[in-house]
Amino acid sequence: MTGFRVVGRDAPLPLGWKSIAILLTTLAFAFFVCSMLLLVQNKSPWTAFMLLLEGGFGGPYPLEDTLLKTIPLFLCSIGVSIAFRMKIWNIGAEGQFALGGVGATAAVLLLPPGSPVWLMLPAMMLGAALAGGLWGFLPGMLKLRFGLNEIISTLMLNYIGIELMRYLVYGPWKDPSGMGFPMTAMFPPAATFPCLFGRTHAGILLCIVVALTLVLFLGRTRLGFELRAAGENPRNARYARIRYGFLLVFVLTLSGALAGLAGCVEVSATFNRLQPNLCTGYGYTAIVVAWLSRLRISSIAFFSFFLAGLKVGVENLQMELQVPAAFGGILEGFILLCVLAGQFFHHYRLVRISAQQEEETA
Amino acid sequence: MEQNHVACNGGDRDEIRPVVRLEGISKSFGPVKANNNITLNIRPTRIKALLGENGAGKSTLMSILAGKSRPDSGRICVDGLPVQFRSPKDALSAGIGMVYQHFMLVEAMSVAQNILLGQESGIINPRGMGRRVRELAARYGLDVNPDAIIRDLSMGERQRVEILKLLYRDCRVLIFDEPTAVLTPPEIAQLFDALRRMAVDGRAIVFISHKMKEVLDLANEVEILRRGEIVDSFLREDVPDERELAARMIGRSPEPVIELVPVEKGEELLRLENARCEKVDGVSFSLRRGEVLAVAGVAGNGQKELVEMLTGRREPAGGVLNILGRDWKGFFHTPVRQKDGLVYIPEDRKGLATCPTLNLIDNFVLTNRLSFLNGPFMDWKRGEAATREAIKEFNVHPPDPMVPAGSLSGGNLQKLVIAREFYRKPKLIVAENPTQGLDISAMEEVWRRILAVREHAGILLVTSDLTEAMTLADTFAVMYGGRFIDVFPRTDTAKVEAIGLMLAGIKPGEKLDNKEAEA
Repeated sequence: MTGFRVVGRDAPLPLGWKSIAILLTTLAFAFFVCSMLLLVQNKSPWTAFMLLLEGGFGGPYPLEDTLLKTIPLFLCSIGVSIAFRMKIWNIGAEGQFALGGVGATAAVLLLPPGSPVWLMLPAMMLGAALAGGLWGFLPGMLKLRFGLNEIISTLMLNYIGIELMRYLVYGPWKDPSGMGFPMTAMFPPAATFPCLFGRTHAGILLCIVVALTLVLFLGRTRLGFELRAAGENPRNARYARIRYGFLLVFVLTLSGALAGLAGCVEVSATFNRLQPNLCTGYGYTAIVVAWLSRLRISSIAFFSFFLAGLKVGVENLQMELQVPAAFGGILEGFILLCVLAGQFFHHYRLVRISAQQEEETA
Repeated sequence: MEQNHVACNGGDRDEIRPVVRLEGISKSFGPVKANNNITLNIRPTRIKALLGENGAGKSTLMSILAGKSRPDSGRICVDGLPVQFRSPKDALSAGIGMVYQHFMLVEAMSVAQNILLGQESGIINPRGMGRRVRELAARYGLDVNPDAIIRDLSMGERQRVEILKLLYRDCRVLIFDEPTAVLTPPEIAQLFDALRRMAVDGRAIVFISHKMKEVLDLANEVEILRRGEIVDSFLREDVPDERELAARMIGRSPEPVIELVPVEKGEELLRLENARCEKVDGVSFSLRRGEVLAVAGVAGNGQKELVEMLTGRREPAGGVLNILGRDWKGFFHTPVRQKDGLVYIPEDRKGLATCPTLNLIDNFVLTNRLSFLNGPFMDWKRGEAATREAIKEFNVHPPDPMVPAGSLSGGNLQKLVIAREFYRKPKLIVAENPTQGLDISAMEEVWRRILAVREHAGILLVTSDLTEAMTLADTFAVMYGGRFIDVFPRTDTAKVEAIGLMLAGIKPGEKLDNKEAEA
């Protein structure tokens, strides 16, 4: 018998010093295990730790790197979290993100090359939102009409979406003067998100606008209120005669559209073209962010930044320390796993068992 | 177990020593006393029935005995020594097990695997286990294939698995929460047979029921619970028939605290002609403005399904339903409108009527949202003002609209729900056990509110509390087995007297079939 017993908390731990302490403890544990793994390869854990920290957060340049990765991750996470709010498990942000890239590129290719910025960028965002939204709308309709589990359908659509994007860049959209490389032609300058300061581009404004709109939407509109109530309790939604089926499709479409916007930001600001390595896992990381942040928008911003920094830091560590790329992935995955596992203590606590004492379970 | 505790004294003249004794058990949920100073002896070889209306505290008492919840005061003695159960596991190791209404089985696993789950002996011997399960099954006539997957089994077979789980663990006391609710008649006969065999083997059986015929069929001892207290306790031999048992269960109803002044009846609001759906087998009635029609009945006789049909959550299978001048499809398949005029006050206040984590304003606006619109936007200022007013008028505690609804007590939550539903000035109200689990003062207040709203509404009151029906109703309908046994006005005193009998499915004037009662 262990000396502890797991006791459920009455309510999840609120955001405060306790939850921060849990986060720090799990991180320390993760780094401890990672140190062991590094020692096995004769690498100094301390150096590795410093490289990770410096790479992600040490100084203006790394911070800017992190911020640039935060933008698409934030948009994907917001999208995922709005579906999660209704307990609809959209894990198809990756595919919706790819479709967003396709939609944005389609807008660029359709418009005459000399179009002004005020036409080009909105058209790209619209295209991305429509294409990404379609990739959310489909599983929504499938669930509504045929009761198809959205976890399966959104996951499967990821593969279709990414392969569709690859087909386009390997085939019809390939740049004829690109020496055979599978990528579209470079976008005209008007199709690039303008930089605000340093390398930080207008995508960050998009994030702010999206976040504020969403706060307004959830808090102030009838649809947003119905969404909050329905997410709380689907039985209650039926009782209050909320249009659950409509909300289901709407939320998945919106979720897809937001991931699509992230795809637009990536092709426009990061790559300046559509290319096959567009998808680097933002859509999947977004699921982790949504889960960690418990769907609070401010926490989504924080965890997007944190996980983006982790990604950048691990890349730095892997290059500087000359460890295999897969090892970087292992570190990143393990740290995420620990942080997620630490969430357990938001809902449960350990109570020391003493044999005779009648302990309080309240 | 500590030895310095005073051993429980049986203090009774029965020759069989109780295996388990509950002493002065009390348990409250907020202001509601679910169990109030209950003392109970459970003896081997006896089958005990706990009989009572919904919310009388039967399930609470048994979940305390099964270690699922803990009493506020009082103690449990096993074999004469006081024990404390921290979890169902403790109760199980003391030989007390419970079969819940909702079975706790892993659907994807086999019968044998389910029986094995939770065993703590460390080494598992599947072959020996299979043999023992077969032995036990044969001995009590609980035939079930140990290799079958739970998903493929009927409810009766699943229940047998639950029983085998307990027998395999050598339980001496087996508790059943309404064991026949999900069974077909042959399955019921088989279950009763198994229970009798267990009793003969020296085990103690306790079962919760509100079906009088079953109690007479099976029990040796009967305890009647009302509002958290044991009000009567007697042997099977003491009651000759269902008539007597029903009389004892209902007792003498307390004088209504509220005087019913009938209001003038208006136009017809609801008409059902031979309406049918699952578990509802042809129900006809008409409800007019100013009228309270009480559907009385023991839970599980189709009231739930009837309410679901009337509130649009269950499609009728046939018959005519006319709701406020529209047919069922026309009413429920068009988008909701503020002026629809039908409101529903469900029994499940926490899971259905409110969102526990949202605050009182959100919850108040929830079903009234169309009244607080400003284009596509919600007008939260008006919403808050209306909520504050409702809280004040209906005396909801705490009077703070920002607290989450889940933090309110049952009575205050119910007052909020009623305030909310009445805000729309409804024409037709469907209320389902509106005072269940409320304390006396909250109950009276809810009753007053319902009577006050008759001026502009007709009320269908579905209740398993006879006192409530007697207090509020102009017209009674007694539901049994999916049908209305009878519909009659409160002025028909002869029939009102016979309600207890009708609850058991017997129409007055009909001769009680003695053979059936004895069987």
